[in-house]
Amino acid sequence: MVPAALRRLGTLGLIGLWVLVTGGLLLLLALSVQNSMQFSRLQAWILLANVIALVAISVLLARKLIELVRAFRAGVPGSRLTARTVAIFGSLVIAPLIIVYLFSLEFLNQGIDSWFKVEIKQGLTDALDLSKSAMDVRMREYARSTQLFANRLADSPPSNWTEATDAQRVESGALEVVVFGTLGQVLAASSAGVTATNLPRASAEVIAAISAGSLYWSLEPLSEDDYLINTAAPIATGPGASEGRFVVAQYPVPPQLSRLSEAVQHSYSQHYNLTQQREGVKNLFGMTLTLVLLLAMLTAIYGAIYSAEKLVRPVQDLIAGTRAVGKGDFGTRLPLPSRDEMGFLVHSFNDMTKRLRRAREETTRSQLAVERERERLSIILARLSTGVIAIGHDLVLRSANQAASNILGANLEQGVGQPLSALAGENARYARFVGEVTERLARGEEEWREQMDFEPEAAGARVLVCACTPLPGDEHAEDEPAAQGGYVIVFDDISALLQAQRDAAWGEVARRLAHEIKNPLTPIQLSAERMRRRYLAQMTGEDAQILDRATYTIVQQVEAMKAMVNAFSEYARAPDMKVTKFPLNALVTEVADLHRVQESAVRIDVELDTHIENVEADRGRVRQILNNLIVNGVEAVENVPGGHVVASTRLESVGSAEYATITLTDNGPGFSREVLGRVFDPYVTSKPKGTGLGLAIVKKIVEEHGGRVEADNRPEGGGRVRVSLPVTDGSRQLVARERRAEPRKERA
Amino acid sequence: MQFRRAHHLTSLLLAALLAIGASAASRADVLDGVLEVSSAYVKPEQGVFQLFARITYPVNDDIRVALKDGLMLNFDLDVVVSRERRFWMDETVAEYTLKRELLYHAVSDRYVARDVDSPNIDQRSFATLEEALEALGTVDAWPFLLSPQLSANRQYRVSLRAGVRRGRLSDTMRVLLFWTDGWHRESEWFSWSLQR
Repeated sequence: MVPAALRRLGTLGLIGLWVLVTGGLLLLLALSVQNSMQFSRLQAWILLANVIALVAISVLLARKLIELVRAFRAGVPGSRLTARTVAIFGSLVIAPLIIVYLFSLEFLNQGIDSWFKVEIKQGLTDALDLSKSAMDVRMREYARSTQLFANRLADSPPSNWTEATDAQRVESGALEVVVFGTLGQVLAASSAGVTATNLPRASAEVIAAISAGSLYWSLEPLSEDDYLINTAAPIATGPGASEGRFVVAQYPVPPQLSRLSEAVQHSYSQHYNLTQQREGVKNLFGMTLTLVLLLAMLTAIYGAIYSAEKLVRPVQDLIAGTRAVGKGDFGTRLPLPSRDEMGFLVHSFNDMTKRLRRAREETTRSQLAVERERERLSIILARLSTGVIAIGHDLVLRSANQAASNILGANLEQGVGQPLSALAGENARYARFVGEVTERLARGEEEWREQMDFEPEAAGARVLVCACTPLPGDEHAEDEPAAQGGYVIVFDDISALLQAQRDAAWGEVARRLAHEIKNPLTPIQLSAERMRRRYLAQMTGEDAQILDRATYTIVQQVEAMKAMVNAFSEYARAPDMKVTKFPLNALVTEVADLHRVQESAVRIDVELDTHIENVEADRGRVRQILNNLIVNGVEAVENVPGGHVVASTRLESVGSAEYATITLTDNGPGFSREVLGRVFDPYVTSKPKGTGLGLAIVKKIVEEHGGRVEADNRPEGGGRVRVSLPVTDGSRQLVARERRAEPRKERA
Repeated sequence: MQFRRAHHLTSLLLAALLAIGASAASRADVLDGVLEVSSAYVKPEQGVFQLFARITYPVNDDIRVALKDGLMLNFDLDVVVSRERRFWMDETVAEYTLKRELLYHAVSDRYVARDVDSPNIDQRSFATLEEALEALGTVDAWPFLLSPQLSANRQYRVSLRAGVRRGRLSDTMRVLLFWTDGWHRESEWFSWSLQR
């Protein structure tokens, strides 16, 4: 990049060089016009150089003008201002130049015309006539002298002519006197410089005049301001007769007369020459003047364009900068043109863009912070086990987190922007939730808190704790729905919590029962057996029967109570698993065989998945699961003709974990609607003999293994309980971690 | 629109060319008359080729009046010797111009003819214009070529052209008056093969 100062210096240098060259050329042209003789050879070149300079500046100017017109038509910023400035500058320069030019041209033409006035020519003509008269007088005198000499020769014999010729030359002051014969031969001659081989000859016009019998004289101009007077006269042989002999004599003209006559001749000829060149001189001067005008004018216009561009360039920069700022580019920095007002303006602009850039950077930083906060909040909401949804006043879903979708069983994240009611589908839980929310908001209740109980489903009853709070917002922010306010609804599925509470309560009850009831049972049983041993043998008859029946009843009921207390104790027992690797299918077959051995009309079938090999679990507790499930199924179909229980196994993959699923189906009456949601709760049973702890223990063991259990009714009739256990201990750990991450995921 | 503008420009150019042509045609009137090289030959004399020629120059009252007003006329005789080539343009071997001038001497009432290039400016005067032009149109034994300038076994051609133009004009003025000056005319070339 060339520094601005260097560029400016170069531009000034070029301008100075141009002024010097054109000025010098114009000066040379003026000098050559004034003194055309001196510059005669160079004049054409000087003229050509000026024309080249004119063409050069014309080309440059044309290029500038074309650029200006194109920019004007294209609407380039600043082009109109440039054009206006050029027009003003040009008018200010051109008008006075043209006026001066026209006056100068007129003055020049009149001046040149005045050189050729009539008086001058008349004076020259008079001077010429005077010279001719003076010469004529002299010629006539010499002609008469020659005539007299010819007459004397006519009277003298030819033998004396040579002597007479010499005498005549000396007497008359002639340069040369020659006597010619009839055939043009020289009869006598007298001349200082004439030799025999260099004799003068009579010219044709002399011979013609002599032939006519006339006297001849003429003035012969010589070079170098000198003249000769030629005279000739016939030699008469008688009155009015001639034999063709004649005398030719040459006389000098006095130097003074010759010089003056030559001066008159020169002036006369020169005047004509100038007169003939008058138009040319006018053209030459006019052309010189026109060249000067054009060069000055075009240079001035070019200078006007250059100056206008230089003046407008900062304005163009400002316009471009303003547009850039308008488009959001605050990094624009304009070059400082000078230290004048324009420079101050540009400096202010640069300062403004700098401030704007800083402000925008601040805003960007703030926005980034907000964005980060929003992302953080989104992450928190996504990881939150509590469902959170935001809706507008028009009940359109604005946002929802993953937990909300999980809890309500609907894909809310995909339904953002849609009305809440449109996302219900066949999801009864979600429909109930939306109904409750809509109803409360319709009643004008903007802030409320409520617990919602949902109908029991396959996985049990659902209880949600729901809270609604209005969101502040700007009602005028039409373009930003999120800023228009609305409501945020926070809800939590406390079903598991309640279940856990119930489980804990039942565990406590079981533990207390086991502790408080089991202790007195043994003394009661022992006492009853002691009474029976001591007194039954001593009694007879009816007393003995009563004692026997009573003690038997006591012992039996105590045994039953012991069994019940043991069951409770088992339920309340703290988890202490002994995980081993064992073949599940073999265990299922073994437990099923045990129950087949017992006398029962119920058919027990086993359907095993051969893909299942070993599972890692507490073998004893799995055996208890199988035992409880088979007992539960057999008891369910005991009174059903053709009762049939099927224990099946299957290997399933859920996510990254593998499960061994054990399914017990029967063809009994199935679970009643009342207990379906609570079959895994303790002491919930539909059988008269059941303790209500079988499935509760199953559920407890399954949870201890990280598995899940479900109970439902088969469409074709009968109940179905499905237990899924992680195949490996690793899978169990993985499931445990996933459940910690998604604690609200439904569990059995 | 473009076509109309181009057509207008073409019309202007045509008009300018016609005006120039008319100007060139009108200027020949002042030198009206026969202007030709009537005869010419070359005579070798001791290794020097001498030119003998007769040129007819125009004579009319315009010339006479202008000369008497002070006009000086230049009479140039251009001689070009070129080597003839069969398959290419001829090569110019020598090129000379015999310069003469004619003026009317008002004081003596005579026409003065001069050989400009002769060492002592050979000057002669004549009573009439016809005599002066006859003298100007006579070239006798003008040495213009030396035999060493020519190669043996080559054919050469001599060309003559006579021209008349106004004298005493600076080059610039001559350029300026080129289109308006009628005092400028040239004859056709007169050519013949050089015999050695």
